[in-house]
Amino acid sequence: MADLVEETKRLREEFYFKLNATSSSEDLRDLQISYLGRKGALTGLLKTVGSLPPQERPEAGRAVNALREELEEAIKRRRDEILFLEEEELEEKQWLDVTLPGRGRPWGRFHPVIQVMHDVIEIFLGMGFSVALGPEVEDDFHNFEALNIPPHHPARDMQDTFYVDGGLLLRTHTSPVQVRSMLRYGAPLRVVCPGRVYRRDSDPTHSPMFHQLEGLLVDEDVSVADLKGCLEQFAKLVFGRPVKTRFRASYFPFTEPSMETDVECIVCSGKDPNCRVCKGTGWLEIAGEGMVHPNVLRAGNIDPERYNGFAWGIGLDRIAMLKYGLNDLRVLFTGDLAFLQGGWL
Amino acid sequence: MKLSWKWLQEIAFLPVDVFTLAEKLTAAGTEVESIEGVAPNLVGAVIASVREVAPHSGVSHLKVAEVEWGKGSARCITAATNVKKGDKVPYGPPGAVLADGTVLGVRDFDGASSEGMMLSAEEIGLPSIQEEEGILILPPDAPIGEDVRSWLGLDDVVMELSITPNRGDLLSVLGVARECCAIIPEARLRELKIQRLGDEGEWPLPFEGIKLLHDGCLLYLLGLATDVNIAPSPMNVKVKLALSGMRPINNVVDATNLAMLLLGQPLHAFDYDRLPSPEITVRTAKDGERFMTLDGRERVLTSSDLLITSGGAAVGIAGVMGGANTEVTESTRRIVVESAIFDPIMISATSRRLGIASEAAYRFARGVDPAGARPALEYVLQLLREWGAAVPHPIVKSEARGSRGSRIVSLRGTSLKKYLLSGDMDEASKILARLGFEEVVREKDRTAFLVPTYRLDVSIEEDLIEEVARIKGYDSIPSRLPPFLRKPGEKGTEVKVQARLREIGMARGYAEVVTYSFISPDFVPLLRFKPDDPRSSAVSLLNPLSKDQATLRTSLLPGLLKAACDNVRNGWRAPIRIFEMGRVFCAEENGVLEEDHIGGVVFTGKEARILYPELLDDLLSVKADVEAFAAASGLKLSFVPGEETFAHKGQSAHILCEGKRIGYLARIKPSIERELELGASVYAFEFDLSPLTREFFPRYALGDRFPPVMRDVAIIVPKGKSADSVLGDIKRLASPLVCSIRLFDVYEGQGIPEGQRSLAFSLEYRSPERTLSDEEVEEHHRNLRAALSREGYIVR
Repeated sequence: MADLVEETKRLREEFYFKLNATSSSEDLRDLQISYLGRKGALTGLLKTVGSLPPQERPEAGRAVNALREELEEAIKRRRDEILFLEEEELEEKQWLDVTLPGRGRPWGRFHPVIQVMHDVIEIFLGMGFSVALGPEVEDDFHNFEALNIPPHHPARDMQDTFYVDGGLLLRTHTSPVQVRSMLRYGAPLRVVCPGRVYRRDSDPTHSPMFHQLEGLLVDEDVSVADLKGCLEQFAKLVFGRPVKTRFRASYFPFTEPSMETDVECIVCSGKDPNCRVCKGTGWLEIAGEGMVHPNVLRAGNIDPERYNGFAWGIGLDRIAMLKYGLNDLRVLFTGDLAFLQGGWL
Repeated sequence: MKLSWKWLQEIAFLPVDVFTLAEKLTAAGTEVESIEGVAPNLVGAVIASVREVAPHSGVSHLKVAEVEWGKGSARCITAATNVKKGDKVPYGPPGAVLADGTVLGVRDFDGASSEGMMLSAEEIGLPSIQEEEGILILPPDAPIGEDVRSWLGLDDVVMELSITPNRGDLLSVLGVARECCAIIPEARLRELKIQRLGDEGEWPLPFEGIKLLHDGCLLYLLGLATDVNIAPSPMNVKVKLALSGMRPINNVVDATNLAMLLLGQPLHAFDYDRLPSPEITVRTAKDGERFMTLDGRERVLTSSDLLITSGGAAVGIAGVMGGANTEVTESTRRIVVESAIFDPIMISATSRRLGIASEAAYRFARGVDPAGARPALEYVLQLLREWGAAVPHPIVKSEARGSRGSRIVSLRGTSLKKYLLSGDMDEASKILARLGFEEVVREKDRTAFLVPTYRLDVSIEEDLIEEVARIKGYDSIPSRLPPFLRKPGEKGTEVKVQARLREIGMARGYAEVVTYSFISPDFVPLLRFKPDDPRSSAVSLLNPLSKDQATLRTSLLPGLLKAACDNVRNGWRAPIRIFEMGRVFCAEENGVLEEDHIGGVVFTGKEARILYPELLDDLLSVKADVEAFAAASGLKLSFVPGEETFAHKGQSAHILCEGKRIGYLARIKPSIERELELGASVYAFEFDLSPLTREFFPRYALGDRFPPVMRDVAIIVPKGKSADSVLGDIKRLASPLVCSIRLFDVYEGQGIPEGQRSLAFSLEYRSPERTLSDEEVEEHHRNLRAALSREGYIVR
């Protein structure tokens, strides 16, 4: 019995000495096996208990078991310590420069004009206008005659036209879709027609290809007031804030009366006489519009005595230029990435 | 149209400043595009008299002049050849500032100093009356010492008006003055004194009359003037013409131009003695008839052109341009002056076809007031008499064809209220009266108005409503949202799908571009399109701006490639990923077929420094983008080896959607890459958007309850054998318990015979009814391996 007590004491000291020397989970596992494993030292000691006289056995067994529990507890504590240290070490080893660029494709870019086109569509959807689309290669009837522009009408000078074979042409405005929509859907009607249009003109403010969004409302008892309301609402929503508008008389063969809409210069608010965007006028033209000419309603097979309406055309490229502060229209269609990525990130 | 503010004020009393007027004109429909001072810089130039002109002692082409300028005399050196003793000239003493801002001083010319300068027309701000010789010679009565700027009326401003095509009546000072009086209640027209001429009687020289053979000429008047003395016009007339943008020619031509600018009626003077016969006949041309216009160009005419003829020979193209054969020259002694009204459409058609944009044709095409033809003729003859340029005869010859009654248009109170929300007929009538519309009958529900002769654009009720609205001012009309929302707006599938695709392109790192719909025809050879490829049948523009924009694109690829090349040429080095959605156009038998396509070009970068080389694009990374675009519409595309002429033979696929070919995915042929000088690989895709243009409602379902058992199989196949076909075979041979087969490894190299590759697939066995046992799955999998071997596959 005294031997056993002595042996227990020795084992305990030896264990703690070795435990303190462990530095990894592996060391610790080896230590655990060599003391507490099936062939471990403590297990061996327990076996010797059986050889003691029977009256000594319970006490000896308790002493060995108490030691076993103590050692198990010590290993557990040491394991927690080692895991903590190992994790620290591992994390230090796995240091990453978080300022490196993210790996993956960068965010792309929207084209400003197409973005504006979708924005404007959303605005008019909210006012009950549906989208209608039409061909870009048109015939003379839909592009001109049905819009009250007979051959040799001086208004044809306003829009220099590209022609292709077969008497066809590239539409000079999105207005032909008005006529197609009237013929297809009849009255009452609310449509917007976005798309590319073409005119034979090229300088910093004119591109031979640009984008328009045509709008058309046909109903009973439509007034100039309704037209003004729609366009004022549009101006406010497209620029994201209330903007002053003014309506001027103008002329389009397909509307009577005809108007143009200006918004207060969104750059200088009319305060800079040398402003390059509004040229000091304080105003920027954003739309041409008017009440649909009875001849156009007739061409659309709609009775002008019962129905009337209004139509407008918005230059989407111009809106994009104003909204995003661009100054050369032609760069929009070059696919210039330096330009497209210009204002981003 | 350029309009002198001073001239406008001569015609009308306008109690406003020019800026207020411009604002009001713009609001009423005549946009004032600019207001500019004539010679705002010019300061200190005065009228001087030339006392003496002597040669310069040192330099042969210079002269020394002694001028008297009111505050003494000065010596000027000049290179001009037209100055002689006694001339009146503009003189800028030292300190004076020229129109271009130059400040004069004392300057040395080879030993002789010049105190200031004698000035040319250009130097005082009148470039259009600059004569070759140099110095502007002023009339003999010009007062010495007077300020040149005010004496010549250069202290004026010129408005640039944008006159809409319906308002031909505004193409004159008088027309604008009338409009001003309508929009400014306090303004008044001043009386213009024109001496009336008679109709009855004969001319003192042979004239057989005027014959109008075509309805294109509604009215033809001729005046006669004898004792013509061709000379320069008075200085103030030259200045007026110059400020209106016209170049002075001689007194006769200038008189007709001045009358046109003032009254809007184009006029033309013929040399009476050069008329082939003493008569005028207006007829249409014969097809192919040739005629030399006074600009010296021979014109080939058609039967739709209206001609002024004499003795059977053409002497002018009606309303467009006179002939060289009867042009007024230095030796002209007798003239007949034409004032006529021609059909706008005929004149417009002829002037467009011949490409003659004359001031006359411009006005006739927009409509000229028939009531103004006679006063305009009388005014020209009066000017010639006043200037001592000719002796006009008091009789005017005239001929009219057809008659046009005055036009009456009715306005209903209900219409006025419908359009403008206010049906105040008294107010409307007052506004219309200011515009020259006379109220003729007022009934209970409508009022009839007589339209003034010069308002050829007004013919329907809506025209009258516009007149009322624009004079009242659109800003005074209330504004509201249209009251009835009958149904919500529908975006439509096209726009919905395009919006979705843009988001995907953006998220996958593409920049959205817009390239021109018209491109250079060179794309056909560049992309090696064969003649039977519909994409080689491009639609050509008949009148392109340039050869580079001469045909409509049949594919998005050329524009996208060009955009990529331009970027690289401009120094872009990073990888490029761009896409575009837009129309392509193919010529068809009866018309043009338009399709909406999406296309993209991916360039791996020229000498790009790349941080993560594993991200470099290749055909398969681009394929994933194409699959993503289609997946957004709920479509799974398939890809089979393709054969585009522009594609790398080993890396080209047709894109199939539900079995139908809709486009391509390909690496661009190395030889084309070389031609484009890109210096790295380019991948491209393009497909028709119409199959994607559909509503898509994805389905969701709970997963299976029982766990799967996974097994792998690796197969060695020859390189040309596609993974898709192996996958197909596995699918066919596998047990029905296999619910998914996924390729997870492709390997070639060590351990695999040359020319072969190993494809490893992971199979998922699963039953909807029970948990499968390992043994059961093992048996199925063994059977599959055996079946594959029987098919001739080497199963590893």
